[in-house]
Amino acid sequence: MLSIKNKPLVGLFLLIFGFSMMGCGAQNPGTPSGQDKSAKANLTGAGSSFVYPLLNQQIEEYRKMNSNITINYQSTGSGAGIKQVSEQTLDFGATDGPMTEDQMKAAKGGKLLHIPLTLGAVAVTYNVPNAPKNLKIAPADLADIFLGKITNWNDQRIATNNPGVTLPDTKITVAHRSDGSGTTYIFSDYLSSVSPEWSSKVGKGTSLNWPAGIGGKGNAGVAGAIQQTPGSIGYLELAYAVQNNLPYATMQNKEGKWITPSLQSTSAAAAATTIPEDMRVSIVNASGADVYPIAGFTWVLIYQDQKDKTKGTALVNFVNWAIHEGQNLSEGLQYAKLPASLVGREEAMLRTITFEGQPILK
Amino acid sequence: MNDRLRNYRNWMMLSIFTIATFIALIPLFGVLSYVVKNGISALSLQFFTNLPKAMGLSGGGMANAIVGTLIMVFIASLIGIPIGILAAIYLTEYDRHSWLSVGVRFATDVLTGIPSIIVGIVIYTAVVLKMGNFSALAGGFALSIIMIPLIIRSTEEMLKLISHSIREAGYALGISKGKTILRIILPTAAKGIITGAMLAVARVAGETAPLLFTALGNQYWAHSLNEPMASLPVQIFQYATSPYKEWHQQAWAGSLVLISLVIILNLSARFAFRSRSN
Repeated sequence: MLSIKNKPLVGLFLLIFGFSMMGCGAQNPGTPSGQDKSAKANLTGAGSSFVYPLLNQQIEEYRKMNSNITINYQSTGSGAGIKQVSEQTLDFGATDGPMTEDQMKAAKGGKLLHIPLTLGAVAVTYNVPNAPKNLKIAPADLADIFLGKITNWNDQRIATNNPGVTLPDTKITVAHRSDGSGTTYIFSDYLSSVSPEWSSKVGKGTSLNWPAGIGGKGNAGVAGAIQQTPGSIGYLELAYAVQNNLPYATMQNKEGKWITPSLQSTSAAAAATTIPEDMRVSIVNASGADVYPIAGFTWVLIYQDQKDKTKGTALVNFVNWAIHEGQNLSEGLQYAKLPASLVGREEAMLRTITFEGQPILK
Repeated sequence: MNDRLRNYRNWMMLSIFTIATFIALIPLFGVLSYVVKNGISALSLQFFTNLPKAMGLSGGGMANAIVGTLIMVFIASLIGIPIGILAAIYLTEYDRHSWLSVGVRFATDVLTGIPSIIVGIVIYTAVVLKMGNFSALAGGFALSIIMIPLIIRSTEEMLKLISHSIREAGYALGISKGKTILRIILPTAAKGIITGAMLAVARVAGETAPLLFTALGNQYWAHSLNEPMASLPVQIFQYATSPYKEWHQQAWAGSLVLISLVIILNLSARFAFRSRSN
């Protein structure tokens, strides 16, 4: 009787024992640094949810040629990516907004490099009964709509840019992201650059104190809010608007031209901007005739001084591939290609990454 | 006259209760049928055997997420169930009224009400930052912390139901307190304790927030418990917030699998309880 009753207990102890053994093995992965190129490497990265689908496909493609390299990238949001790479719980991060000086100083592993991986555009979408697909909205008007100063679709200021279109007498409802988001960063960066009032009252950031409107979580939340609310206007990643057939506005760029968001007009924004040495730059409202004004980079964040040779080598080689051949995957997924002029500079930047003082990329 | 009024009142109240019951069931069946409707079309054998594929490639699955969820819930159970049950035995059998047990009871009540994301942040700070990387172990720890108060509470309720005369009968026969608990009280309350434990397991199986910054997620197989590991809720969250229809489909299929898992756990808990008590 006693022995039978105790059997499940014995089993349980065996299981606990077995698992604790697994745990022990796990804590000593035993991968010495300084191995050749065929060495196995497991990398972990996280951050920008915007770049997740592209990076995921690039990783998969790269793995076909380098089966020894496993790269795990998770979309946790740009803010979390910055935080976690700073805490060194990740091998690399990815973000849609550049790190601030304070954030750079807080990084525990030394200097973090910003390496542009792709470009994104933010589309202004709306739900106005009987409105055409590419409504024209002037920069100052867009800022005033989001400030809550233009409150009705039949406002004279919107009408002047859209001759021949009769907009209904409908109240404007602003929809925005309620979660921290790189998309919000790019959009508010743009509004700050075109409206001094927005810049002083609201400013730019991944999450803001919105003067007007309703919030939605993620692109899906904002898209849902727009679809359910007649008279609403909001902002989405271009890829999201295109994939879900939502109408989006034509915006007026710095040169006064009306530009529809597209992959070409997004790439043009990067090509038209003077990009500084460290690549931490805003490309909203860039000057150039064919530039779409609401665009931004997604950067990969890598420590300049790598602590593990195998991992560092795998990471640098992968990113180098991603900014060259990997760019061919962009357009199929609605991402803009990096301008060719920038790729060479990025490669030079990758060459400054070192392990024990020696450059990794040869 | 009086009878008619009474019957009428009876009928009135009964219909109100019935209507309320049906209204309460609407969300349950609404959610279930919606998930089944959207998820069933994306469900295939590949979904259970393949790793996730990148956007644009077909035939992706969630094998690693399904296994990951099972492993992390198992780790959580290994930690949470023994601690929870032992703590509850202490609270009911050894120390019902001291400041310690009052404090522990208060703490468990507070813990059950704490948003699970906070547990995730605490484990991130206490385990992930100390170990220097995200891991399945950290995920399991986070889930176990959500489990422990649930199990303490349910086990305690079950032990309280056992009448004192049964304990006294044990002592009257000269059986020691420890033996009385092990041989008489625990077997009597076993069904209830098991039910409570399984419901706690089902509850944590669907948790996303505590796993986001502990287990992180992984699109490949984890080689050890010290690596980031995929789980169904996190994978669903990532796919559902992406712009692509194919990934939304996968998220629906994942939801269906997760809901089925939770329902199976719930049903088997209830079944275990019922079949033995009859």
